Amino acid sequence: MGSPTKERIFFVALGVPVIISLLAFFWIAATLLTGVGSLNLDMLTTSALKGGAFEMIVGTVYLFAGAAAIAGPIGIFAAIYLVEYAPSGKITRIIDQAINNLAGVPSIIIGLFGYTFFSRQLGFGISLLSGWLTLSLMILPIVIRGSEEAIRIVPTSFKQAALALGATKWKSISLTTLVAAAPGVVTSLILGIARVAGETAAILFTSSVLITRGLPSSPFQPVMTLSFNMYVKIVARGESPENVFGIALILFFIVLSFSLVAIILRVYYRRKQPWLD
Amino acid sequence: MKMSNKTLKRLSFFFANLKSQPMTVVLFVCASFSIVILFLMLFFVAREGALAFTKFGPDLLLGIQWNLEANLFGGLPLLYGSLMVTFGALLIAIPIGVSTAIFVSEVLPFYLRDPIKSIIELLASIPSVIYGFIGLLIVVPFISSFFGINSGQTALTASLILSLMTIPTIVSVSGEIISAVPKSYKEAALGLGATKWETIKTIVLPISKSGILASIMLGFGRAIGETIAVSMVAGNQAHIATSFLDSVYTIPAFIATHMGEAAVGSLEYSALFGLGLILLVITFIVNTLADLVVKRGAQHG
Repeated sequence: MGSPTKERIFFVALGVPVIISLLAFFWIAATLLTGVGSLNLDMLTTSALKGGAFEMIVGTVYLFAGAAAIAGPIGIFAAIYLVEYAPSGKITRIIDQAINNLAGVPSIIIGLFGYTFFSRQLGFGISLLSGWLTLSLMILPIVIRGSEEAIRIVPTSFKQAALALGATKWKSISLTTLVAAAPGVVTSLILGIARVAGETAAILFTSSVLITRGLPSSPFQPVMTLSFNMYVKIVARGESPENVFGIALILFFIVLSFSLVAIILRVYYRRKQPWLD
Repeated sequence: MKMSNKTLKRLSFFFANLKSQPMTVVLFVCASFSIVILFLMLFFVAREGALAFTKFGPDLLLGIQWNLEANLFGGLPLLYGSLMVTFGALLIAIPIGVSTAIFVSEVLPFYLRDPIKSIIELLASIPSVIYGFIGLLIVVPFISSFFGINSGQTALTASLILSLMTIPTIVSVSGEIISAVPKSYKEAALGLGATKWETIKTIVLPISKSGILASIMLGFGRAIGETIAVSMVAGNQAHIATSFLDSVYTIPAFIATHMGEAAVGSLEYSALFGLGLILLVITFIVNTLADLVVKRGAQHG
């Protein structure tokens, strides 16, 4: 029988690792914040040719926005199929397994595939378009899983009401289930963006270059990004990390704000959906 | 809010007006997309790696030397390096991750659970290039001065950084399984006079052990494929390291740093894809096993 002291020791032993992981986050955030001094706001609007980060910021946004635009609809439709249409059987199980496996593919392999398939086989070259397609493969599993969850928790009574009024299955889903699930679906898309906004390995060979003259004027041109710039400057050129502190901070703030928005949205809408509890 | 509701309504009417029958087909095609992509991925990575595989066979995995001039492409030091930093990372991440998961879903008061889960989620969303950056800025100099070695870019450094990146995976997956243990089971144990810890030990952990195992496997898959952060802090020297204070090179880091200079279609290029295929197959197996473990656990539970 465990005495109260023994009990307390167990809980302390369990609690210490939690504190370690929390400290890790705050320590990372604090470390980055010490570099705020090296970030001047002019960087945001100054061209990279003059030492700024303007093209990298816009390039990063271009990349994740396009990837989200491709993965969003496909992911949402896939989720609707899996929740509302899929018969429970072998094919559905295989689809399910494939989504999990896609989510687990290392980003460097996604990058290799993007390079041989999109850049070379389809002839898109090192371009924004290749980057969109490659990164969309990383967003897709996140959107599917998140949307599935959001659709699954919508009460079937909503859909049944529409069906009873004579709507077809698709009509009732798109008019009721999808509307109720919209916040959850959007949240999953934002999480997907947070996942790829700082992605480096997948765009290493598919879409990024160190320096361009101005912004890409078509999807077939390469693009500058914050993550690629940091990586290449440090690893290939051996520059000291302090040199890219400003860029690191900008990237950190972009990714963190997407994650925070997703988390806040989720909490907010959970409160607004009374049928959840 | 009004505005966005109107947009949402318009969007849903637009979708609703699509025909039901063909829509079913469209939905199915979108759902099968992941399968198609996985097959394309296997095919294209294997196709580019075929040259190296036919030329070297198992030596691509077991050869000890990677030497361009001598036309030797042996990946053993890289595989070794990958496994070394991955096991090092798991050694740190498993105890921290699993106890965090138990603590958050069983011990912590309700109002603290969501905030802490959110912070761990934020930890997961930090890009790997930032982890590498932090590693170079702080961990590398620390390791070098703490152990009194010349370069702080070691297997240990990579393992430390990787463990930070693996913990969120372990916490979120095993946390989900642990919170899914039916409340009635726990109440029954508590009702019989078991303490909270005894309940965790005898009820919660045995039921969720397959889920915890799966979370560790997913963590393994995540760690072995991690590229950017590792290539920034591991020192990148292809040899069989005898100590965690040696520098190492991992498969993904090697691909990332060598693809740029390898001529398309050359033997080196093909060997890099060969390594990629090996990595892809490893993660496939691990992820599929993790899924099976979860499903088997659910049947017994």
